[in-house]
Amino acid sequence: MSLVANYDWSLIWENKGDLLRGLLVAIEVAGVALVISVALGLVLALLRLGKPPVSWLAAIYVNVFRGVPALVSVIWVYFGWSLVVGISFTVFQAGVIALTLLYSAFISEIYRAALQAIPKGQREAGLALGMHPVRIFVRVTLPQATKIAIPNIGSMFIGMIKDTSTFTVIGLLELVRVTQNLNSTTFQPFVLYTAAAGLYVVAAFAFDFLFRAIEKTLTTPPSGGIARATAGRRRRRIELVMKDVEALSGKT
Amino acid sequence: MKVHHADITTAMRTPADSPSGQEPSSEVNGASSGDAGRESRLVVELKGIRKSFGSVEVLHGVDLEVHAGEHVVIFGPSGSGKSTLLRTINLLEEPNAGSVRVLGVEYGPGVPGERVEKRGGPLQLRRHVGMVFQQFNLFPHLSALHNIALALRSVRGLGRRAAEEKAAHSLRQVGLLRFAAHYPGELSGGQQQRVAIARALSLDPEVMLFDEPTSALDPELVGEVLAVMRVLAESGMTMVIVTHELNFAREIGDFNVFMDEGLVVESGPRGFFESCSNARTRQFMEAVL
Repeated sequence: MSLVANYDWSLIWENKGDLLRGLLVAIEVAGVALVISVALGLVLALLRLGKPPVSWLAAIYVNVFRGVPALVSVIWVYFGWSLVVGISFTVFQAGVIALTLLYSAFISEIYRAALQAIPKGQREAGLALGMHPVRIFVRVTLPQATKIAIPNIGSMFIGMIKDTSTFTVIGLLELVRVTQNLNSTTFQPFVLYTAAAGLYVVAAFAFDFLFRAIEKTLTTPPSGGIARATAGRRRRRIELVMKDVEALSGKT
Repeated sequence: MKVHHADITTAMRTPADSPSGQEPSSEVNGASSGDAGRESRLVVELKGIRKSFGSVEVLHGVDLEVHAGEHVVIFGPSGSGKSTLLRTINLLEEPNAGSVRVLGVEYGPGVPGERVEKRGGPLQLRRHVGMVFQQFNLFPHLSALHNIALALRSVRGLGRRAAEEKAAHSLRQVGLLRFAAHYPGELSGGQQQRVAIARALSLDPEVMLFDEPTSALDPELVGEVLAVMRVLAESGMTMVIVTHELNFAREIGDFNVFMDEGLVVESGPRGFFESCSNARTRQFMEAVL
């Protein structure tokens, strides 16, 4: 038997549905966890930039959970919490919680750095105009900080998708679990894991592209495809106001 | 339209209520000052302002009065505390001691032993006081129009359309209407500063503070900003200007204040640049002019 004949590459195509479903589960878990992590990370960043002792508590949280591996986190949540507290989660929920615990810590650091990078003159300008501090945060500081944070949050998301591979230990039917299951009946680990690796890489490329697109729309002036699609409408709106004012001032 | 401030403002305008009636007109550390023609309504009244950063005191008890329609110019060497003094007027710097009164309402810690009839918070204060910064401080993520519209929507509670229209009017006032859709990064420094002036003006302040408005500009762009300020001054706006442009100060200043090391050294009305007598003032002027 030749070497090539040992590898049945057609397995990938035959099981493409299962493999893609596995990838989709991974993206779903990571996606839900990302949304919660960004919200929680932002809150943690604000607490950490606040006054002690709350800032210390936030710092402790961040430093603890940045250090926990995803595998340990998910076992702790799925098996540990149900034993101690008596709450049992579905594997999907456990995966989301495990990722959120870790990545909210990372994202809080990303947001902290981004918030600190906004010149204090921005806040002062808002204050001098008489804006409420909360409004200044929401409309002035946060949009600018988010623009700075987006590329790093994108990297985090790619990391989150990869970390879901460890959730195979709690039986989540993500890509690695699917690959393991297929392998147990076909005994083609090289072919199947090559396929899995390829899918992770494709997903990483796709989301890198997506986050770059978002990043571009946040530049000033906005650039990139998404911005071009919406810029026309915005510009026409401003031009309409300009015309109205010109017309009005012409009369008086 | 501004029913909620109108009552405050008109109350302040009645002469019986005006603090200037009871105040002795002499001021600023007993330095020479001519107060002829300065008996109109007091807009800003600072008394005994002290401010420390950490253990360093940068203002050692400064007084300043600004009357309606008056253009007060503050100048002096770097680190003399002039910007800090200006920033106490809208409480961007909270004084450690002293009285900050705007339109008769007390916003500062107050002067010991003096009765305070009305006390207000910073948000109320800043509705009456506009400010222009050295570094413009436009919001870089918003177009020129929306820099102004955001302020109008947030502070005046205008709807989107009304805010945009009022913002466009303000841009027209500074000659930048055609740049409405431009972002700050696409404008020159002079244009950015004019947008910043339009943004502050759109809120119809009672007094405008200028913190070295031309210091960050290329020399050739200074003129356009000063031109806008000149028009504003001629329209009767009350202005307090911290500046190094002494020629402009001489031209526009109804009242001039020279500060050094956290104190007002000398102050006086028009003609101050020719008539000032203090050795430190003369020394500074000779070095700069």
